[in-house]
Amino acid sequence: MARTKGYPEALDNKLRDRYVYGEDSNPEFTKTVEKISMTIPHMCYQCGTCTASCPSAPRSSYRIRKFVRRALLGLDNEALTDPDLWLCTTCYSCTDRCPRDIAPTDVIMAMRNLAFKRDIIPVNFLKTVQAIYTTGHGVPNNDVNRAARVKLGLEAEPPTTHKYKEYIPGIQKILDYYKLKENSDRIVKEREG
Amino acid sequence: MEKLRQYAFYLGCIAPNRYPGSEAAAIKTSKKLGIELLPLEGASCCPAPGAFGSIDLNVWYAMAARNLVLAEKMKMDIALLCNGCYKSIWEVNHKLKHHDELRDGVNEVLKTIDMEYKGTINVYHLAELLYDKNIVGVDKVRESVTNPMKGARIAVHYGCHLLKPRKDREFGSEELMNTESATWMEELVAALGATPVEYRNKMQCCGAGGGVRGYDIVHALDIANEKLINIKAVGADALTDICPFCQLQFDRGQIEIEEKFGVKYNLPVLHYCELLGLAQGMSPQDLALDLHAISCEPFLQKVL
Repeated sequence: MARTKGYPEALDNKLRDRYVYGEDSNPEFTKTVEKISMTIPHMCYQCGTCTASCPSAPRSSYRIRKFVRRALLGLDNEALTDPDLWLCTTCYSCTDRCPRDIAPTDVIMAMRNLAFKRDIIPVNFLKTVQAIYTTGHGVPNNDVNRAARVKLGLEAEPPTTHKYKEYIPGIQKILDYYKLKENSDRIVKEREG
Repeated sequence: MEKLRQYAFYLGCIAPNRYPGSEAAAIKTSKKLGIELLPLEGASCCPAPGAFGSIDLNVWYAMAARNLVLAEKMKMDIALLCNGCYKSIWEVNHKLKHHDELRDGVNEVLKTIDMEYKGTINVYHLAELLYDKNIVGVDKVRESVTNPMKGARIAVHYGCHLLKPRKDREFGSEELMNTESATWMEELVAALGATPVEYRNKMQCCGAGGGVRGYDIVHALDIANEKLINIKAVGADALTDICPFCQLQFDRGQIEIEEKFGVKYNLPVLHYCELLGLAQGMSPQDLALDLHAISCEPFLQKVL
């Protein structure tokens, strides 16, 4: 947070205003991104170390630096409707190397959370939710694997929610608490019929 | 006989459900190194940090906390064998221990299923325990080897979520805090009698994370392909990893890369636990290596 330095009030207020907003800006967006991500995009001086460290950048138009700037400028529509938002592999190389101690990866995660609130989300993410709701696993067991497990001397079902199905209702309760299954089913149905 | 250190063994999804040999190997090899891995009954997906974290971080916290509570009830620290799981389980544990507001929020949800997160246990990656000389250490790993992998050239893929972001991690050893040019896994590979090989951009991501493998598979495979080019260039006989999702990306990914890009590598991809199993005398059948998409045969002929 900007600190008061004992300047005259007008100058103090000016220095405290660390955000630059234009007509398309939504100042709330900056604040919400900072809150969800628990990081500090307003410290960014656009050096580009993040984009230079990004394995997705050389093979796409995805530029992490641009998203951090959008966070800072409050450009919510521009950020959330850009399909490149979903090309971050969350490798955290940018976060490791950022000279301003920002976690750009977590800025992306926060933006994805906000995109989901507008139903903007690739379907594959929702299918993972559906799989976990029914089985507890994102990648569930199958018959070939069951046979292999038995040959290894393991039980056909691992000692997870696969073997102990009585734990599944608890998982469903957590997901229902956030209406995640309901929303996932609705969006998948809208997209795929 | 020294008393075994006990851990709740958190399995995740891909190891038990796609590469069960890693699970079997982890349990068996650890026992020879003073570690007993006990089943964490009723555990679920960690949940996948890329998928769940992207949708709603609050759900990610709550679901990971449920897995943590299961281990708290056993009064045992967690050991796991997947970097993605490490991100969810270690990081959520760490966050909930340090953020009161977050913990209260999670406990409000957990109350609906009669659970409470207390923050009483720690979370470790098995590879971290193997390297830690206070727990196992490279020397003890070396001593456990009955079938040294002489002449095998092995490349290491560290993956991302065990080590990064470094500024959040709290490893005791300097070696594990090095995310730009780590060499501690190479020490573990050398302990098996094999020759670890360096390659260009070793610390780069496999490309699968963050939901990208599901969202844009060609993009994800292109990242893996870049690594495979670099690994092949130094003449590695196999690639080893400590993350079943990276393993899937490189193993099945090679089949997909052949389909989509028309290039073939035939590079066997083994989890370090599988490699350790072979070195301790487990057979390829004991490790279900036939489930791998890329045949391990040429590599096995070299080391067996």
